[in-house]
Amino acid sequence: MSNGAILLLMTALFLFFGYMGVPVAFALMAGVLTACALTPISMQSMIGQMFHGIDSEILLAVPFFLLVGELMTSANVTNRMIRLAQTMVGHMRGGLAQVVTLFSMFFAGISGSSTADVAVLSRTVAPEMTKEGYDRAFTAALIACASTMANLIPPSIMAVVYGATGNVSIGGLFLAGIAPGVVVGIGLMIYSHFFGPIGVKKARASLCDFADAARASALPLMIPLIIMGGILTGWFTPTEAGMVACVYIIAVLVPLLSRSHIPKLPRDFVYTGLLYSIPLALVAAASAFGWMLAYLRGPDIVSGWIEIIAGHDGRIIMLLLVLLFIVIGDFMDAVPAIIIFMPIVIKLNELGNIKPLHMGVVLITTLVFGLITPPYGLSLLVASKFVGVAFSRAMWASLPIYVVFFVAIGFTVLFPDVVLYLPKLFLPESVGCFKSPTGAGYICPP
Amino acid sequence: MDFKTFVIDRHRHLKWAALDPLENTLMVLCGISIAGFTFSVFLDVVTRELGGAILWLQLVTTGFFAWGVFIGMAVATRRIDHLNLVEITKQMSGGKRTFMEVFNRLVILAVALAMVVFGVQNFMNDLGSFRAPSLIPLATYTASVPISGALIVLFCVEQLINGWNRGFEGPEDRDDFAGIVT
Repeated sequence: MSNGAILLLMTALFLFFGYMGVPVAFALMAGVLTACALTPISMQSMIGQMFHGIDSEILLAVPFFLLVGELMTSANVTNRMIRLAQTMVGHMRGGLAQVVTLFSMFFAGISGSSTADVAVLSRTVAPEMTKEGYDRAFTAALIACASTMANLIPPSIMAVVYGATGNVSIGGLFLAGIAPGVVVGIGLMIYSHFFGPIGVKKARASLCDFADAARASALPLMIPLIIMGGILTGWFTPTEAGMVACVYIIAVLVPLLSRSHIPKLPRDFVYTGLLYSIPLALVAAASAFGWMLAYLRGPDIVSGWIEIIAGHDGRIIMLLLVLLFIVIGDFMDAVPAIIIFMPIVIKLNELGNIKPLHMGVVLITTLVFGLITPPYGLSLLVASKFVGVAFSRAMWASLPIYVVFFVAIGFTVLFPDVVLYLPKLFLPESVGCFKSPTGAGYICPP
Repeated sequence: MDFKTFVIDRHRHLKWAALDPLENTLMVLCGISIAGFTFSVFLDVVTRELGGAILWLQLVTTGFFAWGVFIGMAVATRRIDHLNLVEITKQMSGGKRTFMEVFNRLVILAVALAMVVFGVQNFMNDLGSFRAPSLIPLATYTASVPISGALIVLFCVEQLINGWNRGFEGPEDRDDFAGIVT
């Protein structure tokens, strides 16, 4: 059997098992082990690859950012940030819709998990929106769309996985994700203002109210500063920054703001312990799948196809990859998608002379769109469950909001200078710059 | 805190009460693993900043992390918390549902058995490999894979027998995200 045929069989088996209802991690491994039977690669080495796939200190950042989200959510510290958002935008047309978006931007700077964001908003703001007459389908759609910013604005779990697998600076990916994250946030606010429900008109909060809310939120809002400040000053790696944020919450935030939560901290650890193992089991299996894909020369085959259409034009290659990842994101979770397709992405970066950091942020922006698209729009599925509306209705309500994501993806592809401005400013090495031999400043490739 | 503190009641019809203490213990171990590597990374940063970095702390960290992933993978199988591409089986009933659920668990069982058999072979090989700087045998890490595989086999058999006898349908079919997110 040729490599191409084995590759197709492995992929088809994964999709077949996955769509029969086998959990993704096991569907991936079933495809890999079948491919082993048709190649000289031993099953023993592929089982070993599962371990080696997660044997990376960088991936430790994933549980830390999940723990931050879990601690913040279960300790009810997030209510303070919701109140701050209300004092800032609650008086606008569609006030609570604006609050959802602004809070998500705040929360995205603390947690890397879209699901945690959906959980917080569905429990707190969604019931208020229903009381004010917002359509539940719109509420679920907006919460799901806003939650995607958690994977764009740092810290982002997708960026950690992308950086760890593709050997790209995670700090650089964090900084580059800010621009598309803000574009999505502003886009959602504009959409809610002009096309969303009007809601109940409220008086503008007084400066005193705003100052009170800002003071109450000051401690939680220190977390993004700790994380990004630590990384940019070179004090911490992203993993260590996640740990420091957790320690800050346990040692400062919870005792000061939610003392009654202290006895429940062990419970948070237990549930986060389970929560982090689920995506990392996917990483383990996807790493074996990606290894086999590379062995079967999948990157050469796919890059060959893309080269026929795009030649060596980086922008067209990127566009084709965006289209490919929009389709992939519809059917697959982002974490295994990143790991499985990384060998192909690396090959195409070389082919089109594309900066790996730029490609990373483009693909992450594309994959977060997959969180709200059927059939595997995880954020939309969870939001519709929590808000209590049929998934199909939430999906229809989210369709017009897709425009915001198309704009964000297009912006990220077409304006690399804007997207990479912050990484170039703070972490020049992350965009390929190197120190000038004279010692003054950096030399950056065009 | 009793032996059922962290046991989830979803899919109760697919579970044996006798294995509840095991699920509880595995959940506690998940918590210990994340607490363990949080503490070891904390110590790593503190000792480094104090100028006396302890290099073997990184080995402790990766050990807690890897064990946590594979223990979590096993316990997520019993709690049916793993991520799926689709949840089509939950909309089915009767013989069709039984066929699909049995088929899916047989695939999981096959993968888990491979984790046991080939994981043990890797473990044996890794007894002779050591990690610098403290020369801990690599096998102490890779043992997590066959142990996870064995637990997954156990939970799969539990679900197959109970599902075959009592049916796979349950009231939680309409609430499939409750376990993970809350």
